[in-house]
Amino acid sequence: MTLVRIDNRLIHGQIIETWLPYTGAKNVVVANDELANDVLQQEIMSLAIPQTVRSYFVNVEHLAEEVVQLQAANDSSEVLVLFSSCPDAKRAFDSGFGFEVLNIGNVHYSPGRKQVSPSVALSDEDESCLRQLFRKGVELDFRCVPNDPVQVRF
Amino acid sequence: MAAKSDNKENSMVGVVLVTHGSFGETLLEAAKTVLGPQENCLAIGVDVNKGVDETMESIRSAIRSVETGKGVLALTDLFGGSPTTMSLSLMKSENLEVITGVNLPMVVATLQSRAMSLNKVAEKVKDAGQQGIKVAGAMLRKKGKK
Repeated sequence: MTLVRIDNRLIHGQIIETWLPYTGAKNVVVANDELANDVLQQEIMSLAIPQTVRSYFVNVEHLAEEVVQLQAANDSSEVLVLFSSCPDAKRAFDSGFGFEVLNIGNVHYSPGRKQVSPSVALSDEDESCLRQLFRKGVELDFRCVPNDPVQVRF
Repeated sequence: MAAKSDNKENSMVGVVLVTHGSFGETLLEAAKTVLGPQENCLAIGVDVNKGVDETMESIRSAIRSVETGKGVLALTDLFGGSPTTMSLSLMKSENLEVITGVNLPMVVATLQSRAMSLNKVAEKVKDAGQQGIKVAGAMLRKKGKK
């Protein structure tokens, strides 16, 4: 796995302009239940992805099996996985999608959330999801873009 | 030559700039400096610290407030960026065209060609954007050598 990231905007400028070139990923997998059932929105999000990169939209709980199939079919382990929220990342982990490092890129602010970095504001539920993942050995990486300084906040 | 008078003088393509941060607002101000005051145009800055739904609603209400019946042109910055993606999502419900890569020549061309149909404005604005990019110093040097 090249990168596993939480980003409430999923595929957008930062992914296309920085993370794709930085990781060299050839596949982007968006794990999001809403988008998995919205073909128009999938087309919109994929429109600006470079032609050498493939995009896939899957249900959070099917992510593990989808990624295995994808890697077998494409003969490539270079996969960038995107979740829109911390609970989705936790749900995927619990349903068998293992990862060692989790990048927390964008989690937007709303009242009741605690701002932990300029681009990340966590609710109590988010924090509990991240702590549980951390206790299971997942390293947490709070970088919005690749050249942000790596900071440990947990 | 007198322009053919049009009864629907108020009917013009609406204009919305949807960009990262305050780029669009500043760009629109610059265009108004060149052309003078303009109607039915708005700039919406996408604040990445706000939720997608909230931002979508502010773009939608901006589009509706500049719509006079001829449709609306959304000028966005980065192809693939969230201001563009969000604008594209609104094509379902609004009479909208989305054009990316906004620069000042494009905003000026948009404001000057709004009496045309939405499709024609979009074509014209694309050309104006591309033609506005020149290595002007090299052009000048070449001219000096002649």
